[in-house]
Amino acid sequence: MVGLNVDQVRILFSQEATVRLAQLGQLLLQLEQIGSDETLIRSIFREIHTLKGSAAVAGLAEVSECAHDLEELVEDLRTGRRSAAPDVIDTLLAGADRLAALIASHWREGETSATGDPLQRTAQSSRVNVEHPARTRHRARVGHELLSGDPTHRGDAEPAKRPGPAARMLPAAAVALAPSDSATAAGGVIMVPTARLEELTRMVGESASAHLRIGKMLKDRFGVDPGSCPEFNELSRSLNDLQDRATRTQMVPVATVTDQLQRGVRDLSRAQGKEVRWETRGVDTEMDRGVLHQLADSLLHLVRNAVDHGIEPVAERLAAGKPAHATIRLHAMQLGSEVIIAISDDGRGIDTVGISRRAARHGIDSEGFSEEDLLGLIFSPGLSTTDFVTDVSGRGIGLDVVRTNVEAARGRVEVRSEHGAGTEFRIIVPITLAVLRCLLVEAGGQRFALPFHRVVLSKADDPAMRAHAEGRPVLLVDNQPVPVTTLTQTLGTGSAEPVVGPIVVLADTSRRHAFQVDRLVGQRDVVLKTLSRLLPHLPAVAGASVEPDGSVLLVLDPPGLIHRARQAGRGAAVAPAQRPDGPRGRILVVDDALTVRELQRSILERAGFLVRVASDGSQAMSKLAEEPSDLVLTDIEMPTMDGFALTAAIRAHPSLANIPVLILSSRSSEADRRRGLDVGADGYIIKSGFDEASLLTAVNRLLGASA
Amino acid sequence: MTTMQTVLLPVGADLYAVPIGWIREVLAAPAITRLVTAPAVLLGLMNLRGEIVPLLDTAALLGVGTVGTGSFAAVMHTSHGPAALAVSGLPQRAELGSPTGPSELPGTAGTYRLDKRVAVLLDLAVLLTPERIGGHELHSVGVSVEVS
Repeated sequence: MVGLNVDQVRILFSQEATVRLAQLGQLLLQLEQIGSDETLIRSIFREIHTLKGSAAVAGLAEVSECAHDLEELVEDLRTGRRSAAPDVIDTLLAGADRLAALIASHWREGETSATGDPLQRTAQSSRVNVEHPARTRHRARVGHELLSGDPTHRGDAEPAKRPGPAARMLPAAAVALAPSDSATAAGGVIMVPTARLEELTRMVGESASAHLRIGKMLKDRFGVDPGSCPEFNELSRSLNDLQDRATRTQMVPVATVTDQLQRGVRDLSRAQGKEVRWETRGVDTEMDRGVLHQLADSLLHLVRNAVDHGIEPVAERLAAGKPAHATIRLHAMQLGSEVIIAISDDGRGIDTVGISRRAARHGIDSEGFSEEDLLGLIFSPGLSTTDFVTDVSGRGIGLDVVRTNVEAARGRVEVRSEHGAGTEFRIIVPITLAVLRCLLVEAGGQRFALPFHRVVLSKADDPAMRAHAEGRPVLLVDNQPVPVTTLTQTLGTGSAEPVVGPIVVLADTSRRHAFQVDRLVGQRDVVLKTLSRLLPHLPAVAGASVEPDGSVLLVLDPPGLIHRARQAGRGAAVAPAQRPDGPRGRILVVDDALTVRELQRSILERAGFLVRVASDGSQAMSKLAEEPSDLVLTDIEMPTMDGFALTAAIRAHPSLANIPVLILSSRSSEADRRRGLDVGADGYIIKSGFDEASLLTAVNRLLGASA
Repeated sequence: MTTMQTVLLPVGADLYAVPIGWIREVLAAPAITRLVTAPAVLLGLMNLRGEIVPLLDTAALLGVGTVGTGSFAAVMHTSHGPAALAVSGLPQRAELGSPTGPSELPGTAGTYRLDKRVAVLLDLAVLLTPERIGGHELHSVGVSVEVS
């Protein structure tokens, strides 16, 4: 049998301990809730005992001894010498934390040396004599020591019996108990690195793409309809199942984080002398591990906030006719492609009058606000951190950060509260970030995915619902004016048309914006991948996905898109009468200034145009003779032939006369503009005020007119 | 004399060399999806067997014009994941001897003679960084348009 070295044994132990400590914490919290229960105490004893044995095999003396002390304490519970009073649970929980810390610190340090092992040195001075006759006194001290986390201050020490093998190489049989026992306890669970799961999911996706390509090849090369081929269909079904299962490997139940939350509630309520009962429902609801991880801090913050601010002191509750025991509930449920996690308490509720008062101090006029609007203010940065949240968690975050974190997980947070009766926070997030329900649209010849949870509505454009306000076109949605822009314009993809396509209204936390697209393609789940870390942050792009045909689909980020649309300016808003069929074209940029020329070139190429450049009018005419362009963008002041002369020459040339000419010049006088238009230019942009959006708007309009 | 195994990347009339260890694979005429709102140096995204890889304009990255989507894409290993450089001709292996002189462009590390040709060695650790790629983003100015 192949032997394992100490490091390998310790890796196994670390994996086992993670599962056992989680289980131990859960059992201890159960013990506190239901009181002494023989079966429960036996389970606790078994967990600690196994940890002790495995730690000894792994040569982790201090871990083993710490577990031994806890085991002695649980033995007292088992034999009835002590009851499961809160202080004993405190000691046991602190002991479990201490075990976790010892294992983690050892793992970080990577200690393997037998002779120089600091754990061994500590163990020799810290071993507790569990058979000491002054048992009660000893137990009290153990509790203190565990809580203080200082193993060197333990009393009643005896020399350590160094557990574990001295030899560096261990026979596999000696440690086989650890992993197999662990696997049994965890219901056959094994730990797999997440990167491996992600790789698996990716490879399944690749297999599905390859399968589709084979189908296409069958049809194209052999004239066989793959749909009529049973083997092909069977493979399709298997791959679909496999893809579903692979996605599910990254899902975990909400229960994964509830122990930590319960512990948070328990510790804080005890510290504040409040009596709080913790209840959960639906915690077997599964969601993406990454999403849940992103929410963990926010959930902890909400439950601690509920204890700190929501739950009244016992006397106040009794005076209000409420039971002394308050209740905090976590209720998780799946609703379609979303998971809702509601945290409610039966405390005093949120005082909206107080919010209004505080808001006024922060310069917010909340007169006319509905109850809902007022409650929404608690997520405002200034208000939440200073007035509504005590930094009990030590994290220094307010409810605004909770909202930010939830939104980062593509979710939203809502609050409902009744004064005197309680508060409920609801966190609503997609089940997975890997698979996102999206509305697929087409704009400027490219297909885009829009996350469905941000789509307010999509509908045909109705001119009757169009209006103009504050210098920009708006669309009336629920009688409210919502700014409207074409998606292509917002993305700078060079085409302001078509404007006869449908409208999609998107929302972020505070704003709505309507985007006009070429057409709606449909809705479906999209497997979202993040973009390369080499790329700069692109606020309007959430990620991308590989389509079944192998192409790449961009997933847009509505908040970033709305921000970009707002920034693009009111002048760039869509004109309602443009033609939908203009192709993206070839543009000749004429300018003697290299910087301006290259700037224009990069803007236009980025927008999808094919760009050639010339440094003066004469060179431009030569290039046009070689190959015509769909539009000429020219400066005025250039050597050899200036922009006026170039425009006139183009207009005079029989085969070039219809090419639109756009002048971009630093000359801003009305006389120059008039002269440009007189010689035949179709547009005139002043350089001092030109930017990407304005240039593209002008180019698109001219190309649309010429198409 | 120390030699270096490289792959030559034709970019227009220029020839650039990258140490062979950087090269993961070479693709001919890959299908590209335009990445909207990205800097011009980023030509788009391509699907490399399920992996989404950015394709960069080699010439634009060096600040010497543009190569467009190019005919070939040389996929590189970087510490930030794979990235592809668009090149205009088929990349080929070559052994470089001692440099014949320094190079001027940022992101390059010397010039080398190859018969009658000159190859410029790329310093991909400098060239393929988020800062370098993000630095090509354009900043817009105020708005004032008049179109007749």
